[in-house]
Amino acid sequence: MSLATLTKNWEPMSYGFLDASAKREIRRKMLKAVAVPGCQMPYASREVPMARGWGTGGLQVSLTLMNPSKRVKVIDQGADDSVNAASIRRFLARVSGAPTTLDTLEADLIQSRHRIPEEKLREDQVLVLQVPNPEPLRPVQPNMSIARQMHADADYGRMWLQLYEQIVRSGRVMQGASYPSLVNGRHVMTPSPIPRWDVPKLHMAKHLTILSAGREKRIHAVPPFTRVEPLVFDDVPYKVEDHGGLTCNRSGAKGFFMNEIPQDDGSSTYEISDSEFGVKTIKQAEGERVEFGETWYTDGEMPS
Amino acid sequence: MAYVATRGGERAIEQAERLFRAEMGEITEARVAEIKAAMPYLIDRVMGEASLYDEDLAALALAQTGGELFEAVLVLRAWRTTQPRLQVADPITQDALFTHRRISAAFKDIPGGQVLGPTLDYSHRILATDVLNGFPFKPAEVEPAAQPAPAYQPSVAAWQADNDLVDLPPIDDTAPEDIPDVTREPLLFPAKRAHTLQSLARAETGGALALGYAAMRGYGQAHPTVNELRLAEADIMVRHPNGTAFSAGRVKVSQAEVVSKKGEKLELGFAATLGWNEVKCISAATLDLNSAGAEKGSATEEEFFIYHTEGVESSGFCIHFKLPHYVTFQSSLDAMRDAKAKAASRKEPAE
Repeated sequence: MSLATLTKNWEPMSYGFLDASAKREIRRKMLKAVAVPGCQMPYASREVPMARGWGTGGLQVSLTLMNPSKRVKVIDQGADDSVNAASIRRFLARVSGAPTTLDTLEADLIQSRHRIPEEKLREDQVLVLQVPNPEPLRPVQPNMSIARQMHADADYGRMWLQLYEQIVRSGRVMQGASYPSLVNGRHVMTPSPIPRWDVPKLHMAKHLTILSAGREKRIHAVPPFTRVEPLVFDDVPYKVEDHGGLTCNRSGAKGFFMNEIPQDDGSSTYEISDSEFGVKTIKQAEGERVEFGETWYTDGEMPS
Repeated sequence: MAYVATRGGERAIEQAERLFRAEMGEITEARVAEIKAAMPYLIDRVMGEASLYDEDLAALALAQTGGELFEAVLVLRAWRTTQPRLQVADPITQDALFTHRRISAAFKDIPGGQVLGPTLDYSHRILATDVLNGFPFKPAEVEPAAQPAPAYQPSVAAWQADNDLVDLPPIDDTAPEDIPDVTREPLLFPAKRAHTLQSLARAETGGALALGYAAMRGYGQAHPTVNELRLAEADIMVRHPNGTAFSAGRVKVSQAEVVSKKGEKLELGFAATLGWNEVKCISAATLDLNSAGAEKGSATEEEFFIYHTEGVESSGFCIHFKLPHYVTFQSSLDAMRDAKAKAASRKEPAE
């Protein structure tokens, strides 16, 4: 027996870029996050070869969960071909050897910026959401230490007050994306800047969602079958974007979240935000055999 | 026409990167060597902000990024992430630093003497335009002093402590492997002392200056007096597994100690960094001086300055706004339009 047989050959980089100690820390913090749904767990957050704010938190989680047989899908604002999604997908494949896919149904791991795919996720799938700001209380309390104490005390009075003030001023809650939501009846979290359209997809979902903010160094999670309830008053119901009646100008898909495309004549057309769903719809129309998964929304409505 | 036709993303980013790199041209060892030789202070700044001491790698990072400082620091930090932690060097005290420059604004003369060392402080800032007309700038020869200044100097604060002017912080005898490391564990507040000093050492120079300057101008309570500013070299003493201590080389370090009157005693603010960077050390030490008891949300409060002087995080977040935000924007538009429609329907019809 020699030293050479006991050790691995020197390599300039660990498998999956992060070294074992970084991965171990992230695994531990993910377990903690799963154990206390919606509660932000601080972690060290290593520097990765991508700029902060460009998905470094999601990337570290993906790198930790990757293995050569995990099929990965990366989307940015719903699109697989968005430049940053393409860049992250290329990096993940390069350092892990994992296969990639654009199809939600084929993916084991989905890293996403600001969208949840329109097709339902399964028990065996993990969704990793990139998070720019993990703190739902930031608008009412920018100091992280005080906000942390407020979460510990379940002190969400100012959050409610802010929503109430919006209703008084504007007749409705003005929150666009990142709608603050109560997880498992205890912690208010930001679901990351997904549109309001996507928040109900997290409620009692079959899949695990990990939300990771690399720059702000916080991980939180929504485990499978966990209550996720947007903060609403009893007499002012939660309202998703009014997209249920819109039709995609390119694919003909109807009743999903859309991108608005301004036209020269002052009007707008719409294109489906979940780009691969649009591609599948087109392929089907062209006579190709395509497998669609069950969607969260049917006819533009989320069945309750 | 299919959606697939729009899948230009991968090709576009590849070509965009090629365009940047093509403008930079071939990067050779000679170019890296020239950067290292010509710009030691830039190298120092980058090494400090990257918290990675390697002049060659820093010069390479500058060559590779065309001198885009935030990118250079990021590339070094990302490389640093992949490196194993082999040893923690022995702590070093001020009087064991091989000192090149050491000045105090608190006293006319100090034990050990004022040592100006290399500085542009008293130079006239005139551009040597002749160089561009073919007349190289040849620096005048340095005339050595009759008596060289001692390389090792006591600390000014030690003298002040002997004279009961300042209370020195208690000696921290944490075992080297137990020293908290801000790059490997979460940063929480109130921050551990080690995390604060490490964060300031890694701080972006411009950021530390901006907030430090705010404190100096009056947004801080304590006005700094530079008690001692040092540019030095520190021995990296590490241990062989058999216990033998040896020097693995010397690294350039800078440190600043600023003081302010607090009652009958002086209060200390401290900062140090890898490489020689006086502006950063004085600014950071001023922030440290002002941080005790600072109001939450003020520029001199620990959480505020540690987060906002982090160059890799702040620059990354700033440039991320270039990424598409049409989902979030669409979501806001929807709320705005709906609110507007509600407001219109509420208006009473004109009589």
